[in-house]
Amino acid sequence: MTATTELNFFQAKKGLFSWIFSVDHKRIGLLYLYSILAFFLVGVSLGVLMRLELLNPGKDIMEAKMYNQVFTMHGVIMIFLFIIPSIPAVFGNFFLPIMLGTDDVAFPKLNLLSWWIYVVGALMVLSTLLFGDGPADTGWTFYAPYSVRTGTNVTMSVLAAFVLGFANILTGLNFIVTIHRLRTPGMTFFKMPLFAWALYATSWIQLLATPIIGITLLMIVAERVLGVGLFDPSIGGDPILYQHLFWIYSHPAVYIMALPAFGIISELIPTFTHRTIFGYKAIAFSSLAIAFVGYFVWGHHMFTAGMSGAARIVFSVMTFLVAIPTAIKVFNWVASLYKGSIDVQPPLLYALGFIFQFMVGGLSGLVLGALATDIHLHDTYFVVGHFHYVMFGGTGFAFFGALHYWYPKIWGRMYNKAVANVAFVILFIGFNLLYFPMLISGLMGMPRRYYDYLPEFHLPNMISTYGSWVLVTGLLLMIGNLIAGFYTSKEKIGRNPWGGITLEWQTLSPPPVQNFDKMPELPKGGPYDFENNF
Amino acid sequence: MKHHSGLVLPNSGHNRDAEASKLGMWLFLFTEFLLFGGLFIVYMVYRMLNPEAFLAASFQLNVTMGSINTIVLLISSMTIAMSITAIQLGNSKKSIQLLMITVAASLVFMVIKYFEWSAKIHHGLFPGMAVFNQLPKGESLFFYLYFFMTGLHALHILIGATFIGVVIHRTKSGRLNAGNYSLTENAGLYWHLVDIIWIYLFPLFYLIH
Amino acid sequence: MKNHSDDHAEKAHETHIVSYKDHFSTLAALLLLTVLTVSISVFGANLRTLTVATAMLIATVKVIVVAYYFMHLKFDKKIYTWLVLIVVVLFASFLILTSIEYLNR
Repeated sequence: MTATTELNFFQAKKGLFSWIFSVDHKRIGLLYLYSILAFFLVGVSLGVLMRLELLNPGKDIMEAKMYNQVFTMHGVIMIFLFIIPSIPAVFGNFFLPIMLGTDDVAFPKLNLLSWWIYVVGALMVLSTLLFGDGPADTGWTFYAPYSVRTGTNVTMSVLAAFVLGFANILTGLNFIVTIHRLRTPGMTFFKMPLFAWALYATSWIQLLATPIIGITLLMIVAERVLGVGLFDPSIGGDPILYQHLFWIYSHPAVYIMALPAFGIISELIPTFTHRTIFGYKAIAFSSLAIAFVGYFVWGHHMFTAGMSGAARIVFSVMTFLVAIPTAIKVFNWVASLYKGSIDVQPPLLYALGFIFQFMVGGLSGLVLGALATDIHLHDTYFVVGHFHYVMFGGTGFAFFGALHYWYPKIWGRMYNKAVANVAFVILFIGFNLLYFPMLISGLMGMPRRYYDYLPEFHLPNMISTYGSWVLVTGLLLMIGNLIAGFYTSKEKIGRNPWGGITLEWQTLSPPPVQNFDKMPELPKGGPYDFENNF
Repeated sequence: MKHHSGLVLPNSGHNRDAEASKLGMWLFLFTEFLLFGGLFIVYMVYRMLNPEAFLAASFQLNVTMGSINTIVLLISSMTIAMSITAIQLGNSKKSIQLLMITVAASLVFMVIKYFEWSAKIHHGLFPGMAVFNQLPKGESLFFYLYFFMTGLHALHILIGATFIGVVIHRTKSGRLNAGNYSLTENAGLYWHLVDIIWIYLFPLFYLIH
Repeated sequence: MKNHSDDHAEKAHETHIVSYKDHFSTLAALLLLTVLTVSISVFGANLRTLTVATAMLIATVKVIVVAYYFMHLKFDKKIYTWLVLIVVVLFASFLILTSIEYLNR
């Protein structure tokens, strides 16, 4: 029996079915990784097409309606198929149980079910390409009344989002129960890694916000099927109520996207500075605070929609409150760098890129959260720039950082670090070239969601489009380097290539099926106490 | 689990953990509650916007039938709670009987619902029908919400009854017993939630005169 | 090993079995409240807006009874009660924030 100990989770079983019907959280994490990356590349391609259309004023490669469909598809894929599941479903699935010192999530079968539901939802999204009048042209927000009247395949897109919501809920439910019940003996809540804390807060949002969008989307379906408008003012309804319900979910949902990224950064920084994280409890509690306060700010998406003045003021004030826990995190990360022995490796570069870009995104968010300035900037490219700085420059970069950080643990090999550094630099330059001009054209007053623009906005748009090409070059180099590393790496990776002290570094790389070959030992003095553990 | 070094982690995800499944069930109930919650928000807002119309429309509903259904559901809530007591005491047979009564109650509920709905549809009050389209501003919203919310609730009754059916089956086969009755408890929790939703739906639609 | 031994301790004295009689009393209370709320509405006094408030109040009492006794919140670990309260507070805030907006239109 002991001779088989060395088999890792890749070798334990072979064949396609051993993957797509696996209940092993590591395999499910990788299933998610491959499917999510595939959709990410589709989303990127759609984004590049949009930039191509916007290279010059007037029509370049597509008409207005097609442009509308492309940006809707880009939004739906990036939001529902990439960024919402990204970090929790991939790295949460793979590493949460290992970091807690257990062998699986609490409900392994539900975990598999969640991936299958994701696949079904994804196929539903893709199916909108094939029939009728093509994919929805409403934007990923599906605002009534347009979403009820347009002839495009809104019903199917909306049902897909509903189905994908189930996948999220199941993952969230699984993580909460796992964290409550399966921590290794001795690991109290305050000895958990901060990534686990971030996932805990995220899971609560997934659990408590997603049902609201589910029912709201069903109302859109009911309207389209029965032909009677629930949001129709002529029978006493209110189209703005749709926006309320939509943002009651979708604002907390941006924290589903952002909180896990915060968790990743809180792991990367201590490992590559070899020093304890500054303000562990503050970071842990700020995750919960963001999750909680994030529920009460949805109205700031609707300042110009026709809400009452009193509500606008309340929502604007609440929005500023969210900035507090977020700033607490950033200050703590920066403070953790101080007097650390900083080891500049690719994952750390992504973490630093995250902090810079997330700051730009966060501070531009304050401009939008302020009632007075938002009236001017609403529905301009400033919003588009802000959103991509937070989501792509933030969460996207954290996702890549996590990929570089845990790559040796997942596959037991190492990529070429020099190429990874170059890819990061190209990605970073491309990203800022692409999105910074949007903040400026937004301030100049360029409205979003049009395939055309006035000649005075030509320069920033040109820079953006060139930037998109640089960005794609960096992405391809990064992904190519990771794939090449898998096939060419000769280096034998031990248990702990980075010198981290969370539990995943105590096991083999790749981990065995049951995650550990020997009982994991809690680090002395807390999860990031490098002084006592090295 | 063949390729095993023999290491067994103390808190394995593959252990049977009654507390974990109960926690999981509660979390699921929260999502169900908020699913209906979205509709309650819609109800509140439209009632604020159309108070007179909602009042007028609510008089068209049959309070007697609604009250009988409330009582039926409350009784079924008690019987399923009692079935947990029975299985805890090791009396599987009694537990099954009580679960059967619960399923029977769910059928009574559905039959009464069927009569209520068909009466409304007979009068053309279903969304999209002629009379519905002629309704004064606001009243049609009331009926829209009535059908949407009670329809979704009825769907949950059916799901709950099926769930209880599975529990009956597993109790018969002996897989659920005094040592392992998590599923019975979870079916109970689910059924009580369905009851709770109705406890709010009933006054909101029938009793707001 | 704190967690682990806790679990065993839990199991030993946590399984509280509610008697049939207690369940029946709970039902009796719920039926009484139902009769009350129906009669207020049907024979009722024209309480105007208070009718809704009263009906919601009685419904909430009923729900608390169901959750506390039928759903075993009274006998379970306190964390369940806390979680329920958090969810209720959250949903109540949705209602309050939405009302702020619509009452000031």
